[in-house]
Amino acid sequence: MKTTRSAGGLAAAIALLAVAVVFGLLAGGVRLSLRDLVLGEGPAGETARLVASLRAPRVLLSALVGCCLAVAGAALQALLKNPLADPFLLGTSGGAAAGAAFAAVAGFSPLVSPAAAFAGAVASSVAVAALARRGGRLDLQRLLLAGLIANAFFSAVLLAVFSVASGQTARTMLFWMMGSLADATPGKVLALAPYGAAGFAVLLASAGRLNLFAVGEENAAALGVDVERSKRIVFLAASLLTGAAVAFAGIIGFVGLLVPHAARAAVGNDQRALLPVSAIAGAALLVAADAVSRSAFAPAELPVGAVTAAIGAPVFAWLLLRNP
Amino acid sequence: MTALLEARGLRASYGATPALDGLDAAIGRGELVALLGENGSGKSTFLRVIARIVAASGGELLLEGRSLADLPRRETARRIAYLPQSTELVFPIRCLDLVLQGRAPHARGFSADSAEDRDRALAAMRVCDVEALAERDASALSGGEKRRVFLARALAQEAEIWLLDEPTSGLDPRHRLEFLELIARVHADRETTVVLVTHEIDLAGEIADRIVLLRAGRALQEGPPAETLTPERLRDAFGVESRIVTDDRGRRRIVAYAPSR
Repeated sequence: MKTTRSAGGLAAAIALLAVAVVFGLLAGGVRLSLRDLVLGEGPAGETARLVASLRAPRVLLSALVGCCLAVAGAALQALLKNPLADPFLLGTSGGAAAGAAFAAVAGFSPLVSPAAAFAGAVASSVAVAALARRGGRLDLQRLLLAGLIANAFFSAVLLAVFSVASGQTARTMLFWMMGSLADATPGKVLALAPYGAAGFAVLLASAGRLNLFAVGEENAAALGVDVERSKRIVFLAASLLTGAAVAFAGIIGFVGLLVPHAARAAVGNDQRALLPVSAIAGAALLVAADAVSRSAFAPAELPVGAVTAAIGAPVFAWLLLRNP
Repeated sequence: MTALLEARGLRASYGATPALDGLDAAIGRGELVALLGENGSGKSTFLRVIARIVAASGGELLLEGRSLADLPRRETARRIAYLPQSTELVFPIRCLDLVLQGRAPHARGFSADSAEDRDRALAAMRVCDVEALAERDASALSGGEKRRVFLARALAQEAEIWLLDEPTSGLDPRHRLEFLELIARVHADRETTVVLVTHEIDLAGEIADRIVLLRAGRALQEGPPAETLTPERLRDAFGVESRIVTDDRGRRRIVAYAPSR
């Protein structure tokens, strides 16, 4: 019965992703028709396919970034036994953005930026965990406050970096602070993929331990888990995923919060099912959000982070009310 | 006889506050030992150090003469089951999955769901009379039901040592008695060694083979109930004046009637 539920959830997520991808290829400044894209002959068909092929890297990058953020969120929620955990709210994304921005301004190659973002994400995680520690354990309320502090701090760092650096436009600023997938290239997709795969593989291998953490850290310890080691591994993997996503797409909030909730409602909280379903549903959400950002006020583009925040903030408020 | 579990000068602390301050205690195989003492005397901390939730900061804790901290965590988790005092579940989890977590230390990657694991989990749930709850969400259960599901989990863990932290607190009289019967049965049937933390002095006197009285992180006195549960000892351990009465069924009852001056 349980496996049927997982399989059903996985199938639903894949279907959502397929719909989102089609929407993502068709939506934008030039609206395409599915008929032209698939069956179109002559100039109409060629134009549709050309435009779609130009959009494909952006759709793929959205999918990968969505994947990374959703999986990081799901793992952090289980690890911290807290449904409000999310790489954005915990300040991990802010740290990653500051790291990547430093690397960009210092003139390093874009391929280095995930490593710099990873370093920033880890530094932020360590600082937030230290701030939230009380009597030897992570206090959950303090954790969210510490995330708030980290976000404020890293916003200031980003502003300072871009004010001092020459030749930076408001647009690059917006890229980091609100997130954007507009500069997607096939190269970026290929660069992000291995980071995403590595982080996901580590977390999936930790799924059994995460299930024990979801009942409580003491529970995991009493059942034989080396909790300090597991926490380090999960924090590092989540930071890697967050860092990689932020390096290529800036800070996009709420994906890591929203997606695991929806996935949990569908398949329950067994991380072995929840992590893969979150990955696919996260891809679907961000592909769709990016398509909305391109088409809602076309030809103007909304920052994709504004779209996810418009959905995420009310949901966060609802979760807060429901989890006193 | 070497003790199954032995603490020698055991120390542990939360931050700067010492919780165990040189505790000496021995627990023999198959014994039911009750730890008694006032709040903050270190009872729960002792259980948590044995369960490896809290690390000792000094002294020794031996399992069959070997240092517990040197044994692989998974191995000790197969041998020692811990029933926490309170378990607040944040996420929904099916009762059967919660009981299956008791199999986690026996399974690869801490994920137990082989047919055999399921059978053992369901058998444990039958013993604890919670089999009917298998598909229910544990986070929505009443306190008494949840306690039994966690006990089923300890049973599924097939550990030889059980650590029970105030297992009867918050239970109504009927559930309390049923729960105690269950513990007594498992203790007898499976020759499980039980270490029990409780504030119920009479209960300890009734079911325990031996009592350890704790005070300020040390063992004040240990021995059979008749020797330890006396007005003098209780005055030392709890700071109360008490007298012993015999109820109409001939059971020894301790009535604490005033704080000591």
